[in-house]
Amino acid sequence: MSDHKVKARGMVKGRVSGPALVCRKAFSFLGDVDMDTGEIIAQGHEHEGETIAGKVMIYPETKGSSGGCVVLSVLAKQGKQPVAIVLEKPADTNIVEGAIVCGVTLVSEPEGDLIHSVPNGAMVTVDGAAGEVMWSDA
Amino acid sequence: MNLTEQEKRMLGGEFGEPVARALDYLIQFGDAFGADRFVDVVYAHYPAEMSIYRGNVEDVVEYAETGAMVCIPTTTSTLACDLDRWKEHGCPQPIYDLQAAVVPAHRKMGILGTYTCTPQWLGFVPPKGSYIISVESSAIIYFNSVLGARTNRGGLFTRYAAVTGKYPLMGYLLDENRAGTHLFRVKLGPQDLLHDSDFSALGFHVGALVGSEVPVFDTLGTATQDNLVALGAALATSGSVTLFHAPGHTAESDSVEEAFQGRQPKETHNVTPADIRSVYEMLTTIDPGGAIDFVTLGCPHYTLEQLRYVAHWLREHDAKVHPNVRFWICTNRTTRQAATWEGIVQTIEQAGGHVVCDTCPVECHMRKSTCKEFGLPVPQVQAMVTDSCKMARYVGDLIGCKTALCPKDDCLKAAVAGELS
Repeated sequence: MSDHKVKARGMVKGRVSGPALVCRKAFSFLGDVDMDTGEIIAQGHEHEGETIAGKVMIYPETKGSSGGCVVLSVLAKQGKQPVAIVLEKPADTNIVEGAIVCGVTLVSEPEGDLIHSVPNGAMVTVDGAAGEVMWSDA
Repeated sequence: MNLTEQEKRMLGGEFGEPVARALDYLIQFGDAFGADRFVDVVYAHYPAEMSIYRGNVEDVVEYAETGAMVCIPTTTSTLACDLDRWKEHGCPQPIYDLQAAVVPAHRKMGILGTYTCTPQWLGFVPPKGSYIISVESSAIIYFNSVLGARTNRGGLFTRYAAVTGKYPLMGYLLDENRAGTHLFRVKLGPQDLLHDSDFSALGFHVGALVGSEVPVFDTLGTATQDNLVALGAALATSGSVTLFHAPGHTAESDSVEEAFQGRQPKETHNVTPADIRSVYEMLTTIDPGGAIDFVTLGCPHYTLEQLRYVAHWLREHDAKVHPNVRFWICTNRTTRQAATWEGIVQTIEQAGGHVVCDTCPVECHMRKSTCKEFGLPVPQVQAMVTDSCKMARYVGDLIGCKTALCPKDDCLKAAVAGELS
């Protein structure tokens, strides 16, 4: 059983679980991540050197060039994509296109401050159809 | 999504399987955003598949085999090499060979091989209020803001919109999402907003403050078309800005009040010369007097006038590019042809520079991950000077070199001196 359940706006369907990768700043798929390894390469990023593969990424919003969705699809072809993305702000179209094609579950606008309440690394379940984010205390 | 009779027939397969599948993806997409219907789009700027992204070229070659055709005018964004001059730029043969395979696939689908981030300079100037779909954040923001055409940030689904001529009515296609959110009072004198790089720095500063919202500038001085491109590209780099308003310079509103559609700004900021200076400082990691080995102009792809300026400067100064420096000026093929007729390309080449088409440093073999992907040695770049915040920002991560942001004249001086003045 999960200790916490928060409603969110379901955007791309799927029910998946993975360790949380919580980023306090906006994320750019073009530039912030190595498209071969899924490793975060942005200098000075709080998770520099960690991988996004298999993670539930929780971050405020997607930034940067529209080439980012191509990077997501390249990651997905190699199985290096995140399993789910939870955006604090409304999702931009680009990331949703990438998520539909790549089968990445996506929700946005959770009814709670997940960035400051989900511990990094906690096991998180995201339901894109129901619009729910669930996690347990460690 | 409510479908018209025509759209139901498309989905039913009457116009072929590729159209049916494309529309199905677009319906999922529209449903995700709560769109209730499609609109007809009149133009698409399409993300050309690049050999630097694994599987990307093979994907379009395969897709073209399905018989899919675009049904609206469709241009293409940049590639991973200059299709004509790749050898001169040191592009390895395997990268070119793979990249060149997109050309027949695009032609088969009816897509134009423009391969540029600035298709507006090739005559693709959609009317104010028309619905379009575009990739390339610097083109998107120009179409939306300066021209007043309506597009969201296109991505993978640009293909499906071009094949169906349809896009869900949502996002920046709707009036209510085009209202300004943040007001910027530009407290800059004419000396602070002279160069493309000044407008680029202004955009970079503001983009970081607004994220994905809609900034409104109360004034932009005497901004030219090239200045507005520089501003937009930077807004879409430090943030994911898709639309801005600057009454007197952009298409949609004649006053600040109109730009906000009668609402109050969420935030109001003053922009001062110190803000602009701080962007130059942030994006300049090369020490004064430090050696440089790359100068890039043309992010976004330069216009004929910007190329003319460079050639004129080189001629006036009887300049030769320092032997340690790669000097690239990026543009599109049509503009290079026009610049060749003007003698501009010859002047730049005689000085030791390259007029590069179809690509740019961060999208070609100079990108660290590209040569790694092909098992080739990674080109060594220590320090790049540029007049574009977008280039400076992406170079740091994708090429991994030091950078300096400078006005064009200082970029040219650095190209000649081989060091940052």
